[in-house]
Amino acid sequence: MSVLFKFFASLRLTVVLLAFSIVLVFFGTLDQVHYGIWETQKLYFESFFVVWSYPEQWKFYDQLFWFHLPMPGGYLLGGLLFINLIAAHITRFKFTIKKSGIFLVHFGLILLLASELLTDLVSKESQMPVDEGGSSNYSTAFRSNELVFIDRSHPEHDTVHSIPTELLKPGRHIEVPDTPLTIRTVRFFPNSAVGRAQVPVLDNLADQGVATKMNVVATPKEVTYAENEMNTETAYVEISGPDGVIGTWLVSNVIDERFPPQMVSLGDQSWEVALRFTRKYYPFRIELIDFTHEKYPGTEIPHNFASEVRISHNDPSKDQMSLIYMNHPLRYEGLTFYQASFANQDTTSIFQVVRNPGWVLPYVSVLLMGLGMCVQFGMHFFKFLRKRAA
Amino acid sequence: MKIYFIPALVCAGLLAGCEKPEPTTYTIPKEVRGSGTMSGEAAPTPAPAPQRMEVLPGMKEAAQAAPELTYTVPEGWEEFPPQSVRKANFRVSDASGQAEIAVTVFPGDVGGTLANVNRWRGQVGLDPLTEEGLNTVTREIVISAHGGLLVDLPGPEQSILGGILRFHGDTWFFKMQGPKATVAAQASAMETFLGSVQIEDQHH
Repeated sequence: MSVLFKFFASLRLTVVLLAFSIVLVFFGTLDQVHYGIWETQKLYFESFFVVWSYPEQWKFYDQLFWFHLPMPGGYLLGGLLFINLIAAHITRFKFTIKKSGIFLVHFGLILLLASELLTDLVSKESQMPVDEGGSSNYSTAFRSNELVFIDRSHPEHDTVHSIPTELLKPGRHIEVPDTPLTIRTVRFFPNSAVGRAQVPVLDNLADQGVATKMNVVATPKEVTYAENEMNTETAYVEISGPDGVIGTWLVSNVIDERFPPQMVSLGDQSWEVALRFTRKYYPFRIELIDFTHEKYPGTEIPHNFASEVRISHNDPSKDQMSLIYMNHPLRYEGLTFYQASFANQDTTSIFQVVRNPGWVLPYVSVLLMGLGMCVQFGMHFFKFLRKRAA
Repeated sequence: MKIYFIPALVCAGLLAGCEKPEPTTYTIPKEVRGSGTMSGEAAPTPAPAPQRMEVLPGMKEAAQAAPELTYTVPEGWEEFPPQSVRKANFRVSDASGQAEIAVTVFPGDVGGTLANVNRWRGQVGLDPLTEEGLNTVTREIVISAHGGLLVDLPGPEQSILGGILRFHGDTWFFKMQGPKATVAAQASAMETFLGSVQIEDQHH
């Protein structure tokens, strides 16, 4: 067998990879203090390589600022472990009934690795706040934004033309799908301070909408990774029709529905333009009938949160009632609704909406591993019993 | 060997993960603008919810409140942009904590003075009153050249000091709620504020 295959099948490689994993987790944990869990996960575990730098906040930074430590990222380690495990199996493992337990354990482990990768890649999380007595048919992803043009002219429905803000690169032209409009990004700030200027701004980049009417300006700010903070994404967008430039608008996810809509008109057509947190609409509507929030007696410590909801689907045969509470999510239409939070003096319930097609795989793999261990140890145990009896 | 289907699964996963962001168009059922519910601060809960977004500095006259309501902001009060039904929003802090001041308006009499006073009493942990007890907690004042009521409800921990004003078919609520000491310390500021309020009057 080739040298390469031997290398990948070696148990030494396993030990080295596991050692690197420990190092990765250690430095990832150190950096979590500065970047928060979301960014750290991306930097360390959903990457092939990562470079740890000596943190500015630490002592002796003046002397040690040059210190950088490159290390393999989660995808690389996980991928190599995966190959290692399979290669080791192929070289060493001959399937016999005697070893069926070990086979099951390893198969479960492989499945677990694969399901983690699957979750990383395809799972999507968003939030759905619903007021008591109100309802919602969409959820909002607070870490991604979209530039939308909404055509409200049709009496039966609204049409949303959406451009993910990842595509807003200064200078780049993008056609707004299914409309005669084209946009060019003038400026784009991943985080910003948006406010009213005290004195009129002379060189306001925008010449339309809220920016001119209310003298609003945006200045860029450092991106925040804190878990309970949001980035104020802002863009100056120049919008053109077939006959040339219509104007430049300031759009931002803080200029939301508290403000009058910003309209773009072309001939007798018009669109509402906004930059907002990315929405995902569903073919059903969740109505919050009642939200209850129990505390331990005499304290402010939450004991239980529960939301009673009614789901009305476009297909009425899928309508149902449900009670969502801690550790008891609702699984519906491939989505999982967790009771995540609440607001407005207990009258708004906030659900975490997770789409994870692989959610069942970790359960299966853990079951397989458990079963494998039972089989393996069980066989040894009975062999031992037989030996004693003999 | 069964194992071989796993790499295939992983490849499928990788492909699905590589969906590139691109412009799309979709239709949604007719939507009432402003029906979004993310207002107010999220409470501390097991899983952290995103807090409300950063407040826009100097954005005071913005949004819908501007043409209808004018006032003078007392010293030490921090003003926040109006949101949903709140026409104006303030916060004031001292050593005992933070009090919130909100101005809201609703059509009609919203159940009448007694019901509203009792609603507020409930919010600070006081028992409801009867019609006779009402004048022990209220005092007549003038807000925007119309007769209103000043309601003083000191609770065990939290207090509410507020103004209720019937104004051409609508009811305006000016409500300060916060720790007892903070509300007490801001009482005169609140009265000055109520005195400064001018609501655009299209009926005279």
